[in-house]
Amino acid sequence: MATNPEILSQLFDILKPFAKEGQRLREETKLVAELGLDSLQVMQVLLKIEDHFDISIPLNNLPTIQTVQELVHEIETLVKV
Amino acid sequence: MPCMPETLVATPTNNSLPLKSGDFATLSDALNYAGDGKTGCNFYSGRGKLAHALPYSGLREQAQRLAKRLNSLGLPRGSRAALVADTTPDFLRFFFACQYAGLIPVPLPISIHLGGHQAYVSQLRRLLENCQASIAMAPDGFEPFLEEAASGLGLSLIGGPEVFASLEETQEPLCPLASHELAYIQYTSGSTRWPRGVEVTQSAVMANLSGIIRNGLQVRSGDRCVSWLPFYHDMGLVGFVLGPIASQLSVDYLSTRDFAMRPRQWLALMTKSKATISFSPSFGYELCVRRLGEESPEQFDLSHWRIAGAGAETIRADSLLRFASTLQASGFKKEAFLACYGMAECSLAISFAPLNQGLDVDLVDGDWLSNEKQAIPVTPTTTDKDTIRCSSFVNCGVALPGYEVEIRDTNGFAVGERHSGTIFVRGASTMSGYFNAPAMTQEVLSSDGWLNTGDIGYWINNSLVIIGRSKDLIIIKGRNILPQDLEFMAEQQPEVRPGDSSAFSVSHPEGDELAVMVIQCRESNSEKREHLVNRLRSLVYSELSIPCHIELIPPRTLPRTSSGKLSRSRAKADFLKRVQWEELAALSNIHT
Repeated sequence: MATNPEILSQLFDILKPFAKEGQRLREETKLVAELGLDSLQVMQVLLKIEDHFDISIPLNNLPTIQTVQELVHEIETLVKV
Repeated sequence: MPCMPETLVATPTNNSLPLKSGDFATLSDALNYAGDGKTGCNFYSGRGKLAHALPYSGLREQAQRLAKRLNSLGLPRGSRAALVADTTPDFLRFFFACQYAGLIPVPLPISIHLGGHQAYVSQLRRLLENCQASIAMAPDGFEPFLEEAASGLGLSLIGGPEVFASLEETQEPLCPLASHELAYIQYTSGSTRWPRGVEVTQSAVMANLSGIIRNGLQVRSGDRCVSWLPFYHDMGLVGFVLGPIASQLSVDYLSTRDFAMRPRQWLALMTKSKATISFSPSFGYELCVRRLGEESPEQFDLSHWRIAGAGAETIRADSLLRFASTLQASGFKKEAFLACYGMAECSLAISFAPLNQGLDVDLVDGDWLSNEKQAIPVTPTTTDKDTIRCSSFVNCGVALPGYEVEIRDTNGFAVGERHSGTIFVRGASTMSGYFNAPAMTQEVLSSDGWLNTGDIGYWINNSLVIIGRSKDLIIIKGRNILPQDLEFMAEQQPEVRPGDSSAFSVSHPEGDELAVMVIQCRESNSEKREHLVNRLRSLVYSELSIPCHIELIPPRTLPRTSSGKLSRSRAKADFLKRVQWEELAALSNIHT
């Protein structure tokens, strides 16, 4: 499944403040392992996503989302509904 | 005619029944009584909308019907029912169905970690194995994790609520758990690798609930509770599920995830429901302050909040006072803060500070306390910043009736006023043991009933002052993490041998805790060393969602005790000697 470029660029904007200095965000960037989001930062990111896209990400989908790309796909699915 | 959706109304604060303060023999007796009234529990969405209202009368009826369905499985009495504990009405239905059916409910954690699929499934599996569950229920959407975790374990039935709803009701009369039987098994948040399931009997939890309701909170009619604490934690379960039922109070729930995402919803809900009682670990109050930012406190009305409890981790007075001053304009009174001390091994509570007095902070000479084990009070005027390092601790009040408490020195002798030592308790609400773990039980519970809490504290008159949780425990944002869990992850790496790592936490001047792991490493290639550090840090992130600072040191340099055991406290002291406060602050910035 191709990554939706619009959602991707909006997500990059949301994630940028959480990136470390000099860290480049890519589609393959792992949110927890590479970006280093802790559990409360994850919540902040989700809040921004939910408010920005006006969606609600089900809790049970979180454990399977590892990368930026997977998060884009999740958003895309929810936005379509 | 189109079917109009029913308008949901939250259960009322005022009840039609006389208040009974936890004088029940069992949890099912408590619900039987509460079910005669009008009060109940209410579940709110993250955007502040009432999603479900469940009066205790409805809970009683639904739990009894579900109990009859569970009985159709013909499980032996006392079989364990593992319940993945999301903040939903179904959790309460199942928890109480077990009470009526003679089964032991075991609340299991719900994962909210990004990308933590594998870690969560393994954790669930360890817990299911440990409690030897016969059946397991997960809320909608979480069944796949449960099914994966339980595969091959031979459970009688696994699934979502609807799987159990399709069972046939039996006709035999219900035979609820009696006062000498277990009420539930509570996993302590300590270790994910070596789970400890606290066995709490009906009589133990009822004794504790009575003490909390009568003495600790002095519940009165007109009280109402709000909680976002997880149902699988002792404070969330005993304090805010069982407590309200045993005192027939209405309670309004917000899920933990919704609180973490939108902390202001906690305050909005307090405002809306005019609630009088709500608890949080220190970090919950901190999170509110941090996220409120420029929002005006006047939009909230917290003037009804008479008990703002604090516990579950070391109470940080300055964080709580910052919350009080930020929200002063909302009518919040800092006298509402109520410090308390407790643990799952004692059902929940051991001691409460006096009501309506706010926090009582004891300022002592920190160096004298660490070196001489004595808490010598210092007043700000006598404090010479160059010569005395001040430490401040919150007074957690007098133990509930029915408890004996001793503070003992390292030789096991009870110490007097202002001498620090390990806290031991004995009383009606202590656990009977860790489930299926006699050796672990023996380590903390003596044959004559004294429980070693592992916490360090001292007396002022009859009041307990807690210095810290067991010295090795790592507490980060309210979560307890065993150093062994971190060290185990290190030892899984090919470069690291058993006994090569030591984990602990350090607090930096602003009060946040940072996990640190020091590892003896033979590898000299700098690229490979960096690779190890990064790999391990990622692993810790994905398993525990905490940042961890990892430092590699030369072989045979970790400090050991005379008996050859690794000493975490000395490894920490050595680390602090090597690292300056400024560096530490910078480290936490990098990691958080």
